[in-house]
Amino acid sequence: MKNNHILILILIFQVLCFNSYAVEPDEIFKNSAQETKARIIFKNIRCMVCQNQSIDDSSAPLAKDLRVIIRNKIKNGESEKEIYKFLTTRYGDYILLKPPFNKNTFALWLLPFIFFIFGLFFIFHHNKKFK
Amino acid sequence: MRNKIPKLPLIFFLIVLSVFLYLLLIERNPSDVPSAFLNKNFPKFETKSLFDKEKVISQNNLKDRIVLVNFFASWCKPCRDEHIYIKKISDNEKIKLIGINYKDNKSKAQKWLKKYENPYSEVAIDKNGKIAIDWGVYGIPETFIINSKGIVKFRHVGPINEDIYKKIIFIIKSSE
Repeated sequence: MKNNHILILILIFQVLCFNSYAVEPDEIFKNSAQETKARIIFKNIRCMVCQNQSIDDSSAPLAKDLRVIIRNKIKNGESEKEIYKFLTTRYGDYILLKPPFNKNTFALWLLPFIFFIFGLFFIFHHNKKFK
Repeated sequence: MRNKIPKLPLIFFLIVLSVFLYLLLIERNPSDVPSAFLNKNFPKFETKSLFDKEKVISQNNLKDRIVLVNFFASWCKPCRDEHIYIKKISDNEKIKLIGINYKDNKSKAQKWLKKYENPYSEVAIDKNGKIAIDWGVYGIPETFIINSKGIVKFRHVGPINEDIYKKIIFIIKSSE
């Protein structure tokens, strides 16, 4: 019976445990299209202080500064590409949570496929051997 | 050929494992991100001086000499820890020191420099952190070394310690 109560409590807390976002109410755009664009960009920008969070989730002062800069750029009509360029020229590709495919990142993108093909090759030969 | 096949995955696995072990064992900080300006021109800036409101400090103050640019603040404890090394570096006449006072209270920063001594030739104000963002700064204190051609040769995130101090002295000598 006691265990059931604990289980119910855990479930209640799980339901109440929404994703927490660091974006403050005064930052939010009134224009919903601009707000959507901003949030998409925020989710793809790494917080350089926390490093494993996006600036959408981070409460670090630098993350807030970057959100404000990005919002101003959106307000001025800059494209996503221009905003990403602004950030990568200052912080490198590391600031992007989804790194682009280039000479520095090709191993990161291709190694999983190489491992997969190697695995398939091994399973194929292994099965053939035991037939 | 048949006997060789089971050995292949093992060899492959061992190679991958040794690469990971090597990366774990070598002395490196994975959270230390290299500067996007390394071996490139330093970013331009223009701002006011901390000590003279009429004076403008800009990229022109960083020309024709080896320059150490240090982002610091009076509220930052690690900045105080590294200050002794900044003072030691300022003894070297070949290098010019520019301090960039990050998101600080003007009078507190002035008092801080009076208390711990001012090793900088110029101190620029970065009131809202915009200059720091233009330089790709993400952790105060941060230190850059720029050679006489205006190329960023070194960046260190965090306080300068004995090892970093020696490294800086070596870079200054090799940048001459």
